[in-house]
Amino acid sequence: MGALYAMIGIGLTIVFGVMRIINLAHGEMVMLGMFAAYLGHKSLGIDPYLSLLLWVPVLFLAGVAVYRFLLARVLSGGELNTLLYTAGLSLLVANAALLLFSGDYRTLTLGYAVVPLRPFGIAIPVALAIGFALAVVITTALWLFLGRTDLGRAIRATSQNREAALLMGIDAERVAALSFGLGTALAGAAGVLLAPSLYLYPTVGELVIVKAFVVVVLGGLGSIPGAIAGGLLLGTVESLGAVYVSSTYKDGLGYVLFLLVLLYRPSGIFGVGRS
Amino acid sequence: MRKLVPSLVPLLAVLAFPAAADTLKIGAPQPLTGPDAPFGDKFKKAYGMAVEEINAAGGVNGKMLEVLIDDHMAKNALAATVAEKLITQDKVLIVTGGRASGQSMEIASVCQRLKTPYLVDHPSADMITSKGFEWVFRNNPTGSIYPAAFDSFVVDHPGAMPKSVAVVYDNTLFGKTIATAVMKFLKSKGVPVVAEEAYPVNTLDFRPIMTKVKAANPDFLLLVAVATTDAILLTRHAKEIGIEPRAFVGFGGGFGVADFASQLGPLAENVFSSAAWSGNPNDPRTKAFYEKFHAKFGIWPHEHEVEGYAAIFIIADAMRRAHLTGDLEADRDAIRKALLATDMVTVFGKVKFGNWTGPTGDPFTNQNIYSPEHSVLAQWRNGQLLNVWPQTYAETKVVFPEPGTRK
Amino acid sequence: MRGRGALAAGFIALAAAAAVPLVVRNSFALHLCILVFLWATLGEAWNVLGGFAGQVSFGHAALFGLGAYATAILYLRAELAPWWGIPLGGIAAAVVSIPTGLVAFRLRGPYFSLATLAVAELTKLVALNWEWATNGPTGFLITSLPTLHLFGISVDWEAKAPFYLSALAMMGLAMGTAAALSNSRLGSFLLAIRENEDAAEAVGIDTVRAKVLTLALSGFLAGVSGGFYAFYFRYIDPDAVLNLGISMEMVFIAVVGGLGTVLGPLVGAVFLTVVGEEVRERFGAGHLVFYGLFMMLAIRFLPEGIWGRSRKLLARLSAREARHAAPRG
Repeated sequence: MGALYAMIGIGLTIVFGVMRIINLAHGEMVMLGMFAAYLGHKSLGIDPYLSLLLWVPVLFLAGVAVYRFLLARVLSGGELNTLLYTAGLSLLVANAALLLFSGDYRTLTLGYAVVPLRPFGIAIPVALAIGFALAVVITTALWLFLGRTDLGRAIRATSQNREAALLMGIDAERVAALSFGLGTALAGAAGVLLAPSLYLYPTVGELVIVKAFVVVVLGGLGSIPGAIAGGLLLGTVESLGAVYVSSTYKDGLGYVLFLLVLLYRPSGIFGVGRS
Repeated sequence: MRKLVPSLVPLLAVLAFPAAADTLKIGAPQPLTGPDAPFGDKFKKAYGMAVEEINAAGGVNGKMLEVLIDDHMAKNALAATVAEKLITQDKVLIVTGGRASGQSMEIASVCQRLKTPYLVDHPSADMITSKGFEWVFRNNPTGSIYPAAFDSFVVDHPGAMPKSVAVVYDNTLFGKTIATAVMKFLKSKGVPVVAEEAYPVNTLDFRPIMTKVKAANPDFLLLVAVATTDAILLTRHAKEIGIEPRAFVGFGGGFGVADFASQLGPLAENVFSSAAWSGNPNDPRTKAFYEKFHAKFGIWPHEHEVEGYAAIFIIADAMRRAHLTGDLEADRDAIRKALLATDMVTVFGKVKFGNWTGPTGDPFTNQNIYSPEHSVLAQWRNGQLLNVWPQTYAETKVVFPEPGTRK
Repeated sequence: MRGRGALAAGFIALAAAAAVPLVVRNSFALHLCILVFLWATLGEAWNVLGGFAGQVSFGHAALFGLGAYATAILYLRAELAPWWGIPLGGIAAAVVSIPTGLVAFRLRGPYFSLATLAVAELTKLVALNWEWATNGPTGFLITSLPTLHLFGISVDWEAKAPFYLSALAMMGLAMGTAAALSNSRLGSFLLAIRENEDAAEAVGIDTVRAKVLTLALSGFLAGVSGGFYAFYFRYIDPDAVLNLGISMEMVFIAVVGGLGTVLGPLVGAVFLTVVGEEVRERFGAGHLVFYGLFMMLAIRFLPEGIWGRSRKLLARLSAREARHAAPRG
């Protein structure tokens, strides 16, 4: 679970890091990824993990389009306006999905995923295991991309200092659009990976977005390794909390932790984020 | 200052709507959009079928019935608004429906204040009929009555009294009511509750809870879930963690739908479902209704459809006996008085409204006195949900204890 | 609009509105008006913090719910009549908001907004689980209101008029507060904070105090609305009064109506109620889709809201007329 939280968190943190946009519609993008996988599986019989190959580029392009046509104009209005704008977008997408798909929950079951694996006597459901593995793969790939390629470096440069990046000849607008696309693609990918383990319904975005923010804040806004750590941390806290404290309060624990970090360590628990 | 004009414009449009001549109007707030939409749709189908049948047989004293369904989107305040509209604008004679307890409480409150009878067909919160509302009547059992069949099973079936139970329930009105009622009953029989866990609806991972429960080693595991998704995950995770009680007993809607078995496959086998009552399957009238509904809509009816269908018949029966003069206020009161005298059998079961004390001590007003009979314990066998207790409703023999556990 | 003229116009409008129940008998129409007033008050409450001070809160439902629960608990447990209970509910919300604000206002901009989200969700969790106080998921059902005699007549709580007038008064109070605020020193402080908080501090404004005071005011108004809701709708549970949707609707009303204006929230509330009913009647579909859409359209094309833009247009029109009318020379 932690790894998937991490993936969602990374997407959000990239968007924030580069453009200082807090995208409230991020949860909806995860939801779209889940539904995309579901539809692919249901109507075309494509295995969701394979469908990643299809959906990731699609979602990437969708993200870029959203940025270009919707967000870019609004950015000049300031952070809060953008925040409200993405809030509106999230309402719109979630409810449009509700209209299209109806409120029924759906599940995606894979024939080979019913019986759990039992390494060392701990039951691990297959779907979650594959999801974890792929999440790790994707995250590593992302890490390499950002570290080794030119484009990746451009993204990191812009997120660290936009003016300097412009001075160095980086097309900041293009980088911003691409980063948004990347963030969306990551969200959607997380959705696809999550689909077989959970059930999907159009308003799942609400649940996701809150967790995503907790992850991102814990790890430090704008920091990718922070998001990874944050995701794993949240996953662990929730599981342990449910066992040792009480299942009713486990969500509460996440919120309290979130608030504490926001207040006292705005650069994240590890101090690597931007405040 | 154009404060009021804008809001009056749509009103004028509604008011200008020509009143349908001479039909007997029944109002039914239901969720037609939003997360509860699938349920609202079931009621829509059921009401439609009942009205068709009654009208085809000549209506009620010559007048045709009409059900006005209005969408409340599963929001409490909107349910109140919709009920007001049906009563004051559409001038319905009686209200039914509601679906979820929160919305029904609003509807009940509005109906009580606006002196319009409200026949509750599905919502199960005890509060709706325990506040002394004389305009509110309920046909279906309340949350605290739901476990009646399970209670009689552990008492009457040999060896079925649990030595200990663990109860895991969702922290909703419904979940809590059922859990409380069951625990109260078991405690009165001296059964210790070794674990009690409340979880928030739509929990993604029950494994931590199940780990805790396993440590308590319960004889029976009682699970309450309104949401199907919760029911499925509860069962799956409980079995994954390796809990092996003599019985898995599920309460709540989530355990009674087809998806439960189709998603869990072999994991669903022998899980009990203290499912909602959907009529006695051994009653020929009820069976005939199932067939007819299936033939018309292609799906097998369950609690919602049976409740909705029966409700219209109860209303028609009351209207038939009431002396309707065309004066709205007098007619509504006449229907109310007729309901007080209702004594009939529907596909749902026997109906007679009375004032009595419920299992948790609440005083009921106008609650169906036969409600404790409207409870059944079913079991999942080979992907099918079959009634197993009490014997009069049983479709097959019960499998107990869970094969492989000590007796 | 400033000064005496505005005040007079306001009173006349209020009086006219108060006379409506005498003329309009349609109880559903009155119900819709009550909804408009309720949402206008909520929008105004949010606007005070979000529009005037520029602090976007996504958790205002917590203040609304607090007021609702406080009033219900006081009535059902302590038998305190609503005309005392509702203002107390407002005060309770305001009081709770003070320490929360002192802590939360250490955060700026979007961080503050996220924090409000977390606080609101925590409040909902508390309401759901602290049964000894809030009855948990069961909530509270108010079955009857206490008898009240005014001018020798016993008030009929089944009629709409008493609620209509109370809601109108509530909205009047909210708008009056907002107007007073915008004309006051605190109001100008808030404007400075909204535009540039660091500069405001540099100039010597105690920004934390200003923000906390504003939040308390906003909380009071939201809490009073909550109390009103409890008595008008008679049933509250954590989901009905503490959910995120309510917070978002408040934001919507203020933003689409006119951030930072006094009349904006009213315009927003009318718009929301009308659109909501229309869409529900016509399409029976999720009106929330339109909320999201309009919110986006508003931010994109009408950042000052419908009323804000209308005001500008009116100003421009009257300026143009003045130019044409005034003799040159």
